[in-house]
Amino acid sequence: MDRRPEFVTDPVTPPTEREPVSRRRFLSLVGASAALAATAACVPADSDTIVAYTKKPDDVVPGVANYYASTYQEGLEAYGVLVKAREGRPIHIDGNDEHPVYRGKTSLRAQAETIGLYDPERLRAPRVAGKASSWKAADARVVPALKAAAAGGKPVLLLTAAAISPSRRAVIADLKRAVPGLQHVAWEPAVSASERTARQALYGDAAAPRAYVDRATVILAFDADFMGGMEGAVPAIAGFAEHRQPTRPGQPMSRLYALESRLSLTGSKADTRVPLRPSAAAPVAFALANALHARHAVPLPAGLDASVLAPFTLSGVARQYALDGAVLSALADDLAGAARSALVLAGPSLPVEAHAAAALLNTMLDAEGHTLDAAYAADAAPLTTPAEMAAITRDLGAGKYAAAIFWEANPSYAVADGAGFGAAMAHAPLTVRMGLHDDETASRCDVVLPVNHWLESWNDFEPSADLLAVQQPLIRPLYDTRQGEEILLGWARALGAPVEADYRTYLMARWQREVYPKGAPVTFDRYWTAAVHDGALRRDAKPRAARVLRGDAVAAAARTAAAAKPGAGLELLLAPDVRLWDGRYGNNGWLQELPEPVTKVCWGNNLAMSSADAAALGVTDGDLVSVSAGGREVKLPVLVQPGQAPGAVFAALGFGRVGGVSGGRGANTFALAADDGSAPFHRAEVKVRRAGGREPLVRTQTEFGLHGRELTALWTLEEYGKKAGPPAGSKPLPTLNDPLEWPDHKWAMTIDLSTCVGCGGCEIACQSENNVPVVGPEQVGRGRTMHWIRGDVYYVGDGENPRVAHQPMLCQQCDDAPCEPVCPVAATQHSADGLNEQIYNRCIGVRYCAANCPYMVRRFNFFDYTSTITDPLDLAFNPEVTVRPRGVMEKCTFCVQRIRNGVQIAKDEGRALRDGEIQPACAAACPANAIVFGDITDRTSRVARAAQSDRGFKVLEDLGVRPAITYLAELRNPAAPKTGGIHD
Amino acid sequence: MVPIGVTCVVGTMLVVGWGAQPQRFVRGYAPAQPIPFSHKVHAGANRIPCEYCHTNPERSRDASVPAVQTCMNCHRAITMADSNYIKQNVIARLASDTALAWKRIYDLPDHVYFDHRAHVNVGLQCQVCHGEVQTMDVVSRVMNTRMGECLICHRDPRPYLPAGSAVTQGPTECTACHR
Repeated sequence: MDRRPEFVTDPVTPPTEREPVSRRRFLSLVGASAALAATAACVPADSDTIVAYTKKPDDVVPGVANYYASTYQEGLEAYGVLVKAREGRPIHIDGNDEHPVYRGKTSLRAQAETIGLYDPERLRAPRVAGKASSWKAADARVVPALKAAAAGGKPVLLLTAAAISPSRRAVIADLKRAVPGLQHVAWEPAVSASERTARQALYGDAAAPRAYVDRATVILAFDADFMGGMEGAVPAIAGFAEHRQPTRPGQPMSRLYALESRLSLTGSKADTRVPLRPSAAAPVAFALANALHARHAVPLPAGLDASVLAPFTLSGVARQYALDGAVLSALADDLAGAARSALVLAGPSLPVEAHAAAALLNTMLDAEGHTLDAAYAADAAPLTTPAEMAAITRDLGAGKYAAAIFWEANPSYAVADGAGFGAAMAHAPLTVRMGLHDDETASRCDVVLPVNHWLESWNDFEPSADLLAVQQPLIRPLYDTRQGEEILLGWARALGAPVEADYRTYLMARWQREVYPKGAPVTFDRYWTAAVHDGALRRDAKPRAARVLRGDAVAAAARTAAAAKPGAGLELLLAPDVRLWDGRYGNNGWLQELPEPVTKVCWGNNLAMSSADAAALGVTDGDLVSVSAGGREVKLPVLVQPGQAPGAVFAALGFGRVGGVSGGRGANTFALAADDGSAPFHRAEVKVRRAGGREPLVRTQTEFGLHGRELTALWTLEEYGKKAGPPAGSKPLPTLNDPLEWPDHKWAMTIDLSTCVGCGGCEIACQSENNVPVVGPEQVGRGRTMHWIRGDVYYVGDGENPRVAHQPMLCQQCDDAPCEPVCPVAATQHSADGLNEQIYNRCIGVRYCAANCPYMVRRFNFFDYTSTITDPLDLAFNPEVTVRPRGVMEKCTFCVQRIRNGVQIAKDEGRALRDGEIQPACAAACPANAIVFGDITDRTSRVARAAQSDRGFKVLEDLGVRPAITYLAELRNPAAPKTGGIHD
Repeated sequence: MVPIGVTCVVGTMLVVGWGAQPQRFVRGYAPAQPIPFSHKVHAGANRIPCEYCHTNPERSRDASVPAVQTCMNCHRAITMADSNYIKQNVIARLASDTALAWKRIYDLPDHVYFDHRAHVNVGLQCQVCHGEVQTMDVVSRVMNTRMGECLICHRDPRPYLPAGSAVTQGPTECTACHR
């Protein structure tokens, strides 16, 4: 593990100006500007104006935020969100608290979409043949081509993202009536084909069931990062948290087994984690099924004979993959004991056999219909497979299509043969791009049409059969853009189809026809308004008939798994990155700079490998290696990752976008995906060789060991009884300071490490709320990350398969804060309600406070990081928080702007503050509700009660700084393998 | 003989120091506004309450400057001696959706988060800070906006509050205004 040098050689040269600044020049500049500033300050400002509305919108009160429910589609998921808008501009995104699935929480990627809207590099006007143009000219180019195609019967390709919107599907159907040759293909590069293929084969229907993690007491995850990059991660984290917080020793707790090749976020929270190469997942799962059948007499589904499972025994797979047989045996017992409260998940990237084995286990345990429920699953949206995409690439190259339209999907980046696809595009007479950015596909298209961002759009979604979600625009389109659906409607009209020109009218008309129930007691207008207001609409739907697992399909998969020969080389697993996902967030600085939750690497991807494999290859962290699979080669820096299964390597998808903020960091690993077969993200054998050269990893944390210090607490459930103690801080150290009194409030926080999964959602929420700047890879490499809340990670125990402790670290708002007495200008002070205040305009930047902070949570503006934030990105700023200039210290304020506003509102309404009324951005965003904030002088408040927990501890309590944050020890419930070995 | 360098330094200090006296410039700032709107006529002679136009001091940080449309609430019916005045300055703007860019009288620095709610809702009169606006044809600044001026009242607000007010102190912690 490479450690950061203690002294950097050149700490002051800004990354933007390379020539050195001499001390003399620096002083002269400072002197001159000080003189100028002093002079300017004395002149009454004659520059500022107040521009009043001409006609004020009724619902806007300047200075008061409005909240609107909407929906954000990402792949097959439709997040219910609540968007905060100030004076008509969206500035913060949270989950929609009235949404039945998300319950006020949302993914960190959805939260980061505010700067997606204000991205300065968005397309602003149509472009035809490489020249800025108009919509009229663009339509004049496209419509005749469509007309000719319709007349000549030549096919037209329409490549989109998943169409999970019923109204969008209707628009496409309308266009298809006008252009009969229209071939609609939906491509979701991050959605693995193997899971859908498996479901189709196993159940005859690819509809996705919902996993109810909240109902599960024993969870078995095979390379399934269900709390990280997988679909449904947000409700999964909330569900997982429900069974992870016993309030006294002896209370039950769920148990999570992670058998996985890479150390995923989910694996980092596992009670028992077993490094396992991806190809071993199916044999191990079949062996577990065999053990359940043989040992616990669990019947097999019809059509599956026990003899098919005979090749798989626990002792056999333990021997073959060097696993601890006793752990597998305990796992089988636990699954049998949990029965229908068990949940087995196979990672989407795993091959079909693993999904078959997981489905077999779920069916045998009767989990189907309980922890896994497909009763109200939406019909599977048609998606094309990588193999079909390869065929389309060939057809495109052969000039089969009269025109090709690419809407949202970015195939010349996100397919295995992206370059080949790009080349094939040249053979279509007309290529049209409908998208947000001038991306890899747009740069090769004849006509480029800028579309609305989703925060500028209307739409509806059908996430499940009993739920309809509505998307409403928060702002008028910033540029000369149109919504994709409206572009299609325009073409359909030009071809004579009798459709509405405006998509909102179209949407409402369709709802009135098809959604609005006959004989409803309210008018359609009220029905529609209520749906738009709530963002989601519950509908009566008939539950589907229970899925029946086809025994013969399982048997076929088991035979394939039994016949598979273990490869000799390294095995590769790919998965969408938890931040950049399929690469669509490549230009989002917040997400690029957010460290990966377990490895703490940001600004780029890498090839994670075990220390044994790295040693065999003679490489270490940051050494470039070349990975080749399927005739394509990708260069990646190595990350020697504890917990990585030997023999298997892992790389994240979504990096290596061209242009934008990524600055060429990261590599496009879609090139390593398979475009034949059913498991695109699993390669049974890849060649990895040293490529020479280095690309140092950019990490926010480089030391993961605790070195014997008790910075965090990670207990087993058994230890809980012994270690549980009096509430944290109940025996304060002696102090010479005056006793503190809190006349009104005393703000405090508790963080339950048992439910915190370390996802990083709090970091993005904080960045959005508090105008935290992005500093770029070079500055992060120098340890100058600006995140006010940092997700610390500690690796505990076994160096090759450590237990991972996550600990969000933020300003502890100490009662006896060590930063306060050392400030020479009193820029950091203590408030009457227990806040450690940082006053930017007083700060002169001596950084003594940061040096004296034992928690290392103070952040310094070494450069003017916000000066690069140009129009319109500055619109994403929260107007309630100062934008900090260069030379100023900053840190977490407990979202003091929210506190002051909440207190003021309660005062104006003449009432006491309600518990939970004030939520800092991190607590509001935490999907696990691990962060509790409130007034600790109110003994009934949630935070006061949580702080009394017998799991509570303060970090570095022995320093006597009396932090206001109480952490609750993390509990693990590892398997207790019976001694006496293994029996089948 | 006094060295010339010392003379320069002392001279500069005296000149800059005298020039930078806060009271000299901050009071009496009365820029010309884009239209010659008279508070004396509206708030004084016609006794329109401040909050008829500045609608939000009780529920928002910003008291808010009225929308152009607000003028028409009255001027739909009330004509002036110069009948073209409203046509040119209000109706034309509404028709063309051209905003009025008023000159800001009290321009607080960006790191100051003044909250009208906290002040108005304890019974403080607008005039305490803004002066007798109802007597001004052209609004001018009557209070300097240095922090010391805020603190005079925050430390002892009683002289400025209505008689019988229960408020004895305003907050003096930094994050009351700076965040």
